[in-house]
Amino acid sequence: MKKRFILALAIAVCVSLLAGCGGGQSADNDASGGKQEKITLTLWNNWSGQDAKAVAMRKILDDFKAQHPEIDLQVEALATDGLKTRLRTAAAANEMPDLFVMWPGAMTKEFVNGDLLQPIDDFLNSKPEWKNNFIPNALDDFTVDGKTYSVPMNLAPSSLIYYNQAIFDQYGVKVPKTWDELLQAIDTFKRNNVIPIALGNKANWVVQSTTFSTIADRVTGTEWFLKAVAQDGAKFTDPEFIKALTYMQELGKAGAYQDGYNSIDENQMIQLYTQGKAAMFIDGGWAVASLVNTASADLLRNTHITILPPIEGGKGEPQTTAGVVGTGLGVNKKLTGAKKEAALELFYALAGPDGQRATLDSSTLVSYKIDVDKTKAHPLFVELTELMKNVKIVPVYDSKLSSAAVEVINNGLQDLLMGGKPEDIAKRVQDAQAGAVGK
Amino acid sequence: MNASRVRRFIAAALLPSVILYALFVFVPVIWSAYYSFFNWSGIGEAKYIGFQNYAELIRDSVFWHSLKNNVIFVLASILGQVPIALVLAILLHKSNALQRFMRASIFMPMVLSSVVIGMIWQYIYHPQIGILNFLLDALGLGSWKMQWLSDPDISIYALLPPLIWNFVGLYLIIFISALQNIPSEIHDAAKIDGVSGARKLFTITLPMIWGTIQVAIILCISGSLKSFDLVYVMTKGGPAHATELLATYMYNSTFSTYRYGYGSAISTAIVLISLLFIGTSQWLTRRKAD
Repeated sequence: MKKRFILALAIAVCVSLLAGCGGGQSADNDASGGKQEKITLTLWNNWSGQDAKAVAMRKILDDFKAQHPEIDLQVEALATDGLKTRLRTAAAANEMPDLFVMWPGAMTKEFVNGDLLQPIDDFLNSKPEWKNNFIPNALDDFTVDGKTYSVPMNLAPSSLIYYNQAIFDQYGVKVPKTWDELLQAIDTFKRNNVIPIALGNKANWVVQSTTFSTIADRVTGTEWFLKAVAQDGAKFTDPEFIKALTYMQELGKAGAYQDGYNSIDENQMIQLYTQGKAAMFIDGGWAVASLVNTASADLLRNTHITILPPIEGGKGEPQTTAGVVGTGLGVNKKLTGAKKEAALELFYALAGPDGQRATLDSSTLVSYKIDVDKTKAHPLFVELTELMKNVKIVPVYDSKLSSAAVEVINNGLQDLLMGGKPEDIAKRVQDAQAGAVGK
Repeated sequence: MNASRVRRFIAAALLPSVILYALFVFVPVIWSAYYSFFNWSGIGEAKYIGFQNYAELIRDSVFWHSLKNNVIFVLASILGQVPIALVLAILLHKSNALQRFMRASIFMPMVLSSVVIGMIWQYIYHPQIGILNFLLDALGLGSWKMQWLSDPDISIYALLPPLIWNFVGLYLIIFISALQNIPSEIHDAAKIDGVSGARKLFTITLPMIWGTIQVAIILCISGSLKSFDLVYVMTKGGPAHATELLATYMYNSTFSTYRYGYGSAISTAIVLISLLFIGTSQWLTRRKAD
């Protein structure tokens, strides 16, 4: 019996090993070959879903393939979290794809420091009408040491309140203009068994990105935050930051969120809202694209968008929302010659004026000065673009903090909402950021 | 063929798998141990920092919490999976239609991917539409309703039923094959001697399959120490590290916070802890067998 078991075990081990081998690198990156007529280009993206934006981007890729039979375009679409991880892993092994969707800020900086990207300044400067049409500061987070590495393909305010006017009217609640009004609204909804704010914080970045970044900016001001990120003259143990955490905790204590918010995800959070069980949810501008696809026409008519109310005595500007200029495309450092030209052509197809137009038409904001087509766009999206004309973007925490500190604050906010002490959490964030910056 | 040629043949036949094993299991373990001495973000220069990662690990409360959760998993597997599988095996080791059906249904979860199992149980535990809370309500036990996966005090225990349910089939099959391997002469002899029931179970059946139970316990320990997928799907180690396991913590440190060196230090610690656990269990079960 023992022998047979060992034999079975040995077979199992062999099989699993062989299976492991099967997935290896079969695609040979023949960059310097040049003898073949066909150019192979690899592109990794996160346009895997059925949302309007992903569909629009895939259409551009299909058109590009049809127009360029000489280019063998190999596309891999992954879910967002998966793509981030995959890029990191490929970066560690120095096996980056030729083009890839890349996040501004921290990720761009780290890839530049790892010597994995090539700047696109020459290409940008050769098309001034394109370069000069981006909104102010759009290229900042893709610029490292004076060189620009990409352009944003969308715009992502991460912190907007989507609310159901019908539920507000039913209980005589006004759209909150102050923090106290927000708390009162929460109280009223709670007493009437309506979920005040739907939340899905299982992937723990949600609270940080959609709510806390804005609250914190309202309290501390952007300047303080950037100083604290650089660990230069401000620390996360400062009283301002602890005050910001206290405000966040106040929302939790007021019962703003439904039970079990830590075990459902962002999609289920939107579902709670589309089912009419919640009066509000707080999410990024990207939620419009999925909301218009999933919610009933009736609910969409009652849905409006606003920003978090100002916080009295806070140092931040009130007419703001946290956010980032959206993702761009990274260009692999190794590309040269015809391959590089082909890559830049694809770059322009996706991020150039036509690509920006296609993105905007798919109910996704862009960092590019074009107007939405009001006859075609969904009214909710038109409302969002109107709102964003008067709202400034302030940095979202996870685009500026080091990866280690992001993980700490994400977990810390979960802890905070479950009753953790703001001081302890502040200290953990401070330690992580100080450790990463090296001070 | 003489004995030495047979031995040479066996060695030659084993060689490919030994090489593969060394290359894909042993070498990476060494490699990762090597990385654990560096401060490395995965990109760019790695900086040698000696034992600093380990020094940090020892002071890291999340690490110890993860280890505690892993111990809970190990205990739940050994005290849950093995006895349940054993009882079921004794009940189901004959082969009539009902027993075959029961066996197949108990084995079913093994065939499902852990992601599917995670999703199923996530919906069972779901705070709004979960069937568990619904059933408790229907039975008039509304006060027992809980936020199964969101409450940090109970979420780790809420993960145990899916864990046990997932793997009990494997041990059931192992135990059944062991039971069927007991020679029928022994059963006949027992019958002649008038031994039956509980006495037969404890004096004949269990001692005869003790070796298999030992193997099952080792599989339980190594399997639970490696647990990752189920927890990653259901809670991602959250809320606020409440259900973090060594493997999820290692993964998060490596691929979410991009501290490859620290992640490698955790992996190395997992290897050492696993060896310690398995060594201890072998020692304990051997003593019992004597």
